[in-house]
Amino acid sequence: MADLALDGAPKERSTIEKVWGKVVGISRRSPTSIIGFVIILFFGFLALLAPLLMPYDPIAANPNLILSGPSAAHWFGTDGNGMDVFSRVIFGSRFAFGIAIPVVIIALSIGIPIGLYSGYKGGNIDEAIMRVVDAFRVFPSIILALAVVAAAGPSLLNVVLVIGILDAPIFVRVVRAEVLALRSSSFVESGLIVGNPTWRILFVHLLPNAIQGAMAQTAVRAAWAVRISATLAFLGIGIQPPTPEWGAMIRQGAEFMVNGQWWVGIFPGVALILMVLGFNMFGDGLQDLLDPKRRSGGK
Amino acid sequence: MLMRRLVLAIPLLIGILFFTFMLIRLGGQDPVGLLAGPTATTEEIEIVRAELGLDKPLFTQFWLFLGDVVQGDIGKSWISNRSVTLDILERIPITLELLLWGVALGSVIGVPVGLRAAFRHDKWFDHISRGISLLGFSIPTYFLALLLLFVFFFLLGWSPPGMGRISLLISPPPTVTGSYLIDGLLAGDLEVARSAVAQLILPIIAVAIISAAPIVKHTRAIALEIISSDFVRFARASGLPSEKVSRIVLKNSSTPVTTFIGTELTGLVGSVSLIEFVFAWGGVGQYGLNAIIRGDFAAVQGYVLFLALFSLVVFIIVDLLVLVLEPRAVAE
Repeated sequence: MADLALDGAPKERSTIEKVWGKVVGISRRSPTSIIGFVIILFFGFLALLAPLLMPYDPIAANPNLILSGPSAAHWFGTDGNGMDVFSRVIFGSRFAFGIAIPVVIIALSIGIPIGLYSGYKGGNIDEAIMRVVDAFRVFPSIILALAVVAAAGPSLLNVVLVIGILDAPIFVRVVRAEVLALRSSSFVESGLIVGNPTWRILFVHLLPNAIQGAMAQTAVRAAWAVRISATLAFLGIGIQPPTPEWGAMIRQGAEFMVNGQWWVGIFPGVALILMVLGFNMFGDGLQDLLDPKRRSGGK
Repeated sequence: MLMRRLVLAIPLLIGILFFTFMLIRLGGQDPVGLLAGPTATTEEIEIVRAELGLDKPLFTQFWLFLGDVVQGDIGKSWISNRSVTLDILERIPITLELLLWGVALGSVIGVPVGLRAAFRHDKWFDHISRGISLLGFSIPTYFLALLLLFVFFFLLGWSPPGMGRISLLISPPPTVTGSYLIDGLLAGDLEVARSAVAQLILPIIAVAIISAAPIVKHTRAIALEIISSDFVRFARASGLPSEKVSRIVLKNSSTPVTTFIGTELTGLVGSVSLIEFVFAWGGVGQYGLNAIIRGDFAAVQGYVLFLALFSLVVFIIVDLLVLVLEPRAVAE
């Protein structure tokens, strides 16, 4: 009733107004998720506009300017090869997104079908799948990723594939749990009676109802992907220096840090923390928003 | 429950061994080429291959390997040229010393903070602790270790350099437990013990920070759920004083929190290896990382087996602790 205008016609709220209303609602309930979103936007902006923002070529070595500290010409100083750290940090955001986005897509496209099938079928297949998922959970993911990438051969493609596959069990678990709760509901039964094949029940009927939990996890998993890919590069497996990737840059900077040339390692490290923090903060809010069980949060 | 856990663990262990065995052998690295050297002839390469047993079919190789593992023989590391079992056994106390102190400190800080955040739900303490724990989640383990070294060794000069477990100028104490701190104290050598403590502090702080973040988050979630449960609401409604209500909450939180710290411990062995790597700690973690990086097959197998057995032992200890904390669990 409050929406009625004076002339009696219902006042249409434009889409922009509706979306804005939601944003205000979210920011009131979870300000951290908005901060996280702004951080992700900021890095997205850096990644998109990197060629315009970088003052130097990120892999152009200047042998006359090795390990010079932050200055007006080189804001973040130069590294052991005389490359501009500022330009390299900006370029590194492309690697972070270039790894995180495909990793989450791979994990979703493996995890969701298996989770749907496992939860819907139940029985021995489900039991076997869950044992494998549990085995993944018990084992430290960093070590698993390291071992598999080292065995598969260190290339960027392998890093993305391996991290994506290792991340799939989380989505299997979340989707399966939702399907278990929905399996015996009447809309599934009526779908069956009308003669829908299994794949239609899984992907047309169950998927839209079971996908929220998986979506709530995506941002946190992106954070994990950024972190773990940088860890691989730091250990020298996967992306190699002088590629302007943050983990590889920290590896280079590590040896200089204890000699006082902190700028080589600290700046990419801070960028890495900020980006992971952004995804985690956003993900925290996303989970609150999409997971009704968490929303109540006590009291 | 314990027997069930053990019986279920056997196929899991064999599965993990099989997975790493195949992974390593199907991977790109060929140990024969490394061992035989670049000038070896084809026949020499075949001889080395036969010596290592790598000319047999893969499943036969796995079967033979499994037989050796049961007898405690994981093979020889071709970096150290020693038995991997020995290599790992002598490094276990080194890693445990770091891991256990670190997680103990992390729990002593994390559990009370998480509980307080739950009791002060949506107050400023809750928000601040949540923010700090998010930061703890987001900082890469190795970068945290590097930062600690940079600040406390380079800038402030309070800490010794991160090179091993004891000052290079001091000779290590006779080995009893494998921990330089405990062995130094046992030998009555205070200088050794002091140096061991000085080397331990920074890596322990790193482990504590990494472990405290998830502990805070989960303790808070667990306590919040209990606070909103029916029996606590009933206790409140019956007019129990708030300290009594708090005590009910604490008692009911203890089991899930213990279980959580246990499961966290199994995952933390991975992060600890990165901390070991930065501090040149020389435990199982660093050994395993080096083995993976340099393609030392037998050592990778040994490391993976260690990780699997470690989580098994932790789960058994957690099960036993739960039995002590929760008499109801005995009936199951």
